[in-house]
Amino acid sequence: MTDFNDTTDHEAKADLIEIAAYKYKEGLLTRRGFLSAMAALGVLPALGSKAMAQAKEIIVVNWGGRASEVLQEVLCDTYTAETGIPVIVDGSGPSGGKIRAMVESGAVVWDLCDSGMGTALILTEQGIIQPIDYSIVDKDKVLPAAVYEYAVGNYVYSYVLAANPKMLGGNVPQTWEDVWNTKDFPGMRTFRKSVRGMLESATMAQGVPMAEVYDALGTDDGIKAAIDKFRQLRENIIVWGSGSSSQNLFLQEEVAIGNIWSTRAHLLKDQMDEGSFTASFDGGVLAPGVWVVPKGNPAGTEEVMKFIAHGQDPKLQVQWLEMIGSGPVNPQAAELVPAELQKWNPSSPENLATQIFYNDEWYAKNQVAAEEMYIDALIN
Amino acid sequence: MPRLADKYRYWFLVLPALVIMIVFYIWPLLGIWQISLTEPKAGIENYTRMFDSSAVTTSFILTFRIAILTTIGCLILGYIVAYVISNFARRAKPLMIALVLLPFWVSVLIRSFSWIVLLGRSGIVNDSLIGAGLIDSPLRLMHNEFGVVLAMIHVMLPFAVLPLMANMRGISGAYVDAARGLGASEFTAFRKVYFPQTMPGVMSGALLVFVLSLGFYITPALLGGGRVLMISEYITYQIQEFLNWGLGSALSVALLVATAIVILIAARFVNLRSALLERGS
Repeated sequence: MTDFNDTTDHEAKADLIEIAAYKYKEGLLTRRGFLSAMAALGVLPALGSKAMAQAKEIIVVNWGGRASEVLQEVLCDTYTAETGIPVIVDGSGPSGGKIRAMVESGAVVWDLCDSGMGTALILTEQGIIQPIDYSIVDKDKVLPAAVYEYAVGNYVYSYVLAANPKMLGGNVPQTWEDVWNTKDFPGMRTFRKSVRGMLESATMAQGVPMAEVYDALGTDDGIKAAIDKFRQLRENIIVWGSGSSSQNLFLQEEVAIGNIWSTRAHLLKDQMDEGSFTASFDGGVLAPGVWVVPKGNPAGTEEVMKFIAHGQDPKLQVQWLEMIGSGPVNPQAAELVPAELQKWNPSSPENLATQIFYNDEWYAKNQVAAEEMYIDALIN
Repeated sequence: MPRLADKYRYWFLVLPALVIMIVFYIWPLLGIWQISLTEPKAGIENYTRMFDSSAVTTSFILTFRIAILTTIGCLILGYIVAYVISNFARRAKPLMIALVLLPFWVSVLIRSFSWIVLLGRSGIVNDSLIGAGLIDSPLRLMHNEFGVVLAMIHVMLPFAVLPLMANMRGISGAYVDAARGLGASEFTAFRKVYFPQTMPGVMSGALLVFVLSLGFYITPALLGGGRVLMISEYITYQIQEFLNWGLGSALSVALLVATAIVILIAARFVNLRSALLERGS
């Protein structure tokens, strides 16, 4: 309950900052007007941190909930212990829109944001974020597919096939083809309210081999075919908008099958009764979370890069996995993972072999058009 | 001269509200209009894209359908409640009014979540029905239009009851008594004498509920299961997920225009001034 209140409060505040920052950007508020609006909202001390740069604290922003606590405990507090520099986690959700509004308003409060590649690509294009300094951050400690000029992998997660065997009479779908087979596997399914990680599964459900998924999706016909799969299945679909909602759908037994994040599957395996939850990385889509640094961040570039490098420690990354199921992005971490967690580690060598890597170039090119077709298939 | 000063004095009274409206509502609104015509590039591309998209069309139709169903539901239930409170409740009246107002004290979010608890697959309603042996497998009560409309009627109900009550309070019982005295049956007296007098209340309640429903977000987002995508959710989706401010803004302008058209059409049939401004008098 306190968790809930806490989140709402952050949200509300960040939202107000966002609105004011946006007005400022549009020239609807003068800088002075903007600062006094911030003062009225009681957020000026935070914004003033640029003026008080000597304070040298790092504000790391992620998406709230348990992940914020874990981030604070595993990465931030250990960094503070080592360097004496305070690192504070803000769980208010660094959406691309918020980062952009903040940078364009010139009132940057955040130093480091937990983002995704899709957002990072857009922000790179718009000139909102800084390049990663690979003389400080070690390229070798990141899966090669998660190294980018303006963003660097911080953990990985997968889109996995989750199911509740109890609701299916013990019959567990093994492949995406099974997921589309409503005769043998009756019940509701959940897919994300976005094509991310979803079109891939619909393509595999047509019998396309894993390695050729993005080739198939590279053509208009391929996209259409995948979208049509959702049109066929839609009477059996409830979509999840947030990770927690996918988790709830399983907990409340609203759905029997789903394509959800491995991080949520990791939580569900402990929360659901014995024998009522399984998840398979076979045919999964592995995606990296990435760090991005807003331009003009208050703590300065170097300070933040050092913090990112600190987070590359494989031991710390294994702790993340243990606590919330985020897979280590550092390949050296796999061998440190305890045996019972190996099968839940998205980046274990075994699981890497059965998954494809999220192709953000495909998304940059096709996502917007595909999303529209996806919504159309679900509602029209 | 003193008259003029009086006139200005009224303006001073409304000035703070006016300034707040202009700075925090009209101005940003114009900003939204501007974005819809300038992002990602100048022109009406956002609008042509919007009209070409069948998803947007479906979403608009769905939004209006849900708003209409919600309005009808609220009017029927709200009329009965307001009628009972105004004409029959005596000692219980304050309690009943409090019960109508009570939902305002609880966040819409919480009320929507409680519907999830009620309507879920293993929710209270389904569990009781199965327990009573009435059904074998759970009914689908939410994650569809039914659930959304049901919960929205619940959320919007006070907005129908309050204007109706205000209107009914101003209706003298003498008219119905007179009709009854002249030999009209109870039903005829209600239909021909009482009901026409409540039309302003019905209209203002209907408009209020309908317009609020058009832009409603939380309840459909929580109970719709993603397949009941009302236009406000679609806007959020464009802006938050895709940073597509242009199309998102164009959609919100379209919603505003559509709402304005509804009010204009309504104005042809009802006297808005009496429906909205002079209720209860």
